[in-house]
Amino acid sequence: MKTIPVEAYFAVSMILFGLGILGLIARRNLITVLMSLELALNAVNVAFVGADAHMGLVEGQIFALFIIALAAVEAAVGLGIIIAIFRYRYVESTDEITDMRG
Amino acid sequence: MEGLFVILIPLVVFAVVGLLGRRIGDLGSGILTTLGGFLSFLFSIPTTIRAIEEPFQIKLYEFITVGDYTLKVGLYFDELSSITASVVTLVASLIFLYSIGYMEHYFGRWAYKFYAYLNLFLFSMLLIVLSDNLLGIFFGWEGVGLASYLLIGYYHEQKKATDSALEAFVMNRVGDWFFLFGIISVFLIFGTLDIVEIFGKVGEVESHLIGLSTLLLFGGAVGKSGQVPLHTWLPNAMAGPTPVSALLHAATMVAAGVYMVARLYPVFEAAPETLKVVALVGGITALFAALAATSHTDIKKIIAFSTMSQLGYMYLGLGLGDREGAMFHLTTHAFFKALLFLSAGSVIVAFHHKVYDIYRFGGLKGYMPVSHASFVVGALALAGIFPFSGFWSKDRLIGSYFEVSFVWGVIGVLVGFITAYYIFREGFVVFWGKERWRGVAGEEPREVGGVMSVPMVVLGVMSVLVGFLEGWYMGVMGVRKELHIEVAVISVLAGLMGIGVAYLVYVRGVVDVGKAYESLRGLHTTFREQFFTEKLYHKVLAWGYLRSSRFAYNLGDRTVIDGTINLTYRSLLKVFKLVWKAFDIKSIDILIHTLAIGMFRGGRVLRNLQTGLLNNYVMFLLMGVVLILGIMLYALDRVKG
Repeated sequence: MKTIPVEAYFAVSMILFGLGILGLIARRNLITVLMSLELALNAVNVAFVGADAHMGLVEGQIFALFIIALAAVEAAVGLGIIIAIFRYRYVESTDEITDMRG
Repeated sequence: MEGLFVILIPLVVFAVVGLLGRRIGDLGSGILTTLGGFLSFLFSIPTTIRAIEEPFQIKLYEFITVGDYTLKVGLYFDELSSITASVVTLVASLIFLYSIGYMEHYFGRWAYKFYAYLNLFLFSMLLIVLSDNLLGIFFGWEGVGLASYLLIGYYHEQKKATDSALEAFVMNRVGDWFFLFGIISVFLIFGTLDIVEIFGKVGEVESHLIGLSTLLLFGGAVGKSGQVPLHTWLPNAMAGPTPVSALLHAATMVAAGVYMVARLYPVFEAAPETLKVVALVGGITALFAALAATSHTDIKKIIAFSTMSQLGYMYLGLGLGDREGAMFHLTTHAFFKALLFLSAGSVIVAFHHKVYDIYRFGGLKGYMPVSHASFVVGALALAGIFPFSGFWSKDRLIGSYFEVSFVWGVIGVLVGFITAYYIFREGFVVFWGKERWRGVAGEEPREVGGVMSVPMVVLGVMSVLVGFLEGWYMGVMGVRKELHIEVAVISVLAGLMGIGVAYLVYVRGVVDVGKAYESLRGLHTTFREQFFTEKLYHKVLAWGYLRSSRFAYNLGDRTVIDGTINLTYRSLLKVFKLVWKAFDIKSIDILIHTLAIGMFRGGRVLRNLQTGLLNNYVMFLLMGVVLILGIMLYALDRVKG
C-alpha cells in the first residue's frame, strides 16, 4: 500500500488551520466564526493523527479524541452564547457587539 | 554665759515671731518683741559688769579653715562692746514698746512681719557690736542692711517707700563693697580676722599697708553711717515707719559705722593718713548736713539730717583721736535722738499719718504736753545745753577739736550753733505759734496713749541723766580729761544763740519768714537740695547709668545679637525657599506630573487597541502566538547553534 507522506498531512493541516484562522479574523458572522474555529481545531487533529500514523504511535490519536470532545463541548457552549445574544439583541454580526470597546 | 543670751534672745524671738507670727497675732508679736528686747538688756547688765572687770572672749565654734588658718566664730566682750550692747538693747526695747502704739492702725495686716524685721535688725546690730572677728561683723553688717531695706520699704504700697528702700540698699552696697575689700586686705596683711589677734600684730606691719585697708574699711563705715558722699539714702529712709527711723538713727545701722571704726581704733591709729580722711569726711558731713537741715520742712527729715550731722561730729572726733568722746557722744545721741524721733512720731500719729510738713502743724504744746516736753528735752540735749546729756559729750568733743586745731574747733562750735537753730526751728514751728492745722485736719490732735508716752518719758529722763555718767564712762574706758570751762561756755553760748535766733524768727516774728526765704532763695535751694548732690546722683549718675545701659541694650542686644539672629534666620529662610522652588517644585513635582500626564496620554492612545471586535482579538492572539513562537525558535536556535 502506498503510504501518504507525512508532509502531506502537515500541509493539509496547515492549509486548514490557516483557513480557520483566516475565517476567524475575516468573517463577521458569529456562526461562521464558530465554524472557522472548528476548522482550526480539526486542522490540528489532522496533524496529530497524521503524525501518529507516520510514527506508529497512539498518543496523538488520544489527544485528537480529547480535542473532538472539547470541540463538541465548545460548539454547544458557543452556540448557546450565540443564541442568547441573538435573543437579546437580534444581531448575528461581530460588528454589532463591540461593547468591550475601550 | 549670760553674754550669749544677749545676742541669742533677739534671734530666737525673730524666729518665733517670723514663723509663728500669724498664730501669736500682731499684738502678741509686739509684746514678745518688747519682752525679748528688755530681757536681752537685763542679761547685758551683768555681762557689762563682768567685762569691765576683765575683758573676755567666748569662742563658739570653728567656722571655716583657710589654708593653715582656722576662723573661730566667737563673741568679744570688753568695756566698749558691752556698754554699746547695753545701750543698743535698752534704746531698742523702748522703741519696740513705742512701736506697739505706733503700728496699732496696722494690726491685722501682717504687722507681725514688722516685729520680726525689728528683731532681725537688733540681732544684726548686736552681731556687729559683739563679734570678735571681722567676718562676724560683716555678717551683722549685711544683716543690718537687709533689715533696714525691709523696714524702710515696709509701707510697700507707696512707691516712695520702696524707692527709698532700694536707694538705701544700693548706697549701702557701695559701702559694703569697700568694707568687704577692707576685710580681705586685713586678712592679707595680718593673716587673721580675729580682732584681738589683729590688735596684737598692729605694730609689726608697715603703716602704709594698714592705711590702705583702713581706708577701705572706712569706706564701709561711710556707706553705713550716711556720710558724704554716700549720704542721700539717709534722709530718704524717712519713708519708713517712725520707730524704724528712731531705731535706724539711735541704736542700730548708722551707729554701726562709728562703732566699727572705734572697735578697730588701734588699727586706725596706726594709719594717721586714714584718720585725717576720717576727720575730713566727718567735718564736712557735720557742716553739710546741718546746713541741709535748716531748709527742710519735713518733720522727720530735719531730724535725719541732724543725725548725719551728729555722726559727722563723731567721725571728726574719731579722726582727731578722741575715740572715747566719740563713743560717749554715740551713747548720749542714741537716747536723745530716739526721743526726738518718738515725739515726732507721736505728732504724726496724732495727725493720722497724713501730715509731714512742719508748717501744717503749729501750736501743739497745749494739746500734746508729753510729746512737747519730750521734744524740748531732746532738742536741748541735741543743742548741747547744760545740764542735758548732749552738753557733756558734745563739749568734750569740741574740747578735743580745739586741742588739735583751732579751725576744727570753730567748725564744731558753728555746727553746734546751726544745730540749735534748726532743731528749735522745728520745735517752735510744730509745737508753738499759730494753730495752722485748723481747717485742714478735721479734729483736734490728742496726746498719744501710755504705751507710747512711757518710752518717751523714760528716754527723756535718760537723756538728762546719761550726761552725768561721763566721768564713770571715761574712767571705765581708761582715760581722764578735764572739762574745759571756756569751751563749755562758748559751746553753750553758741547753742543758746541758735535757740534765740530760732525763737526770734519763728515765735516773735522779728523777720518775715516768707520774705526771708524769698530773698535767700538761692541759698535756701542749695541747702535744701543738699548742695545738689542728690540731684547729681539721681539725675546724672542714675540717669546716665540708665541711658548708657539703654544705649548698650540698643547697640549690643538689639543691633548686634538680634540683628545677627534676624539676618541668619532671614537668609536661611531665603535659602530654603530657593531650594524648595528649585528642587521640590522644579524637579520632583514636575517629574511626577510628567509621569502622570504621560501615563494619561499613553492610556488614551493605547485604548484604541481595545476595539471590542472579536475578530481583532483573534488577530492579536495570533500575532502574540507567532511572536512568542518566533522568540522560542530563535532562542532554541541560539542554544543549539
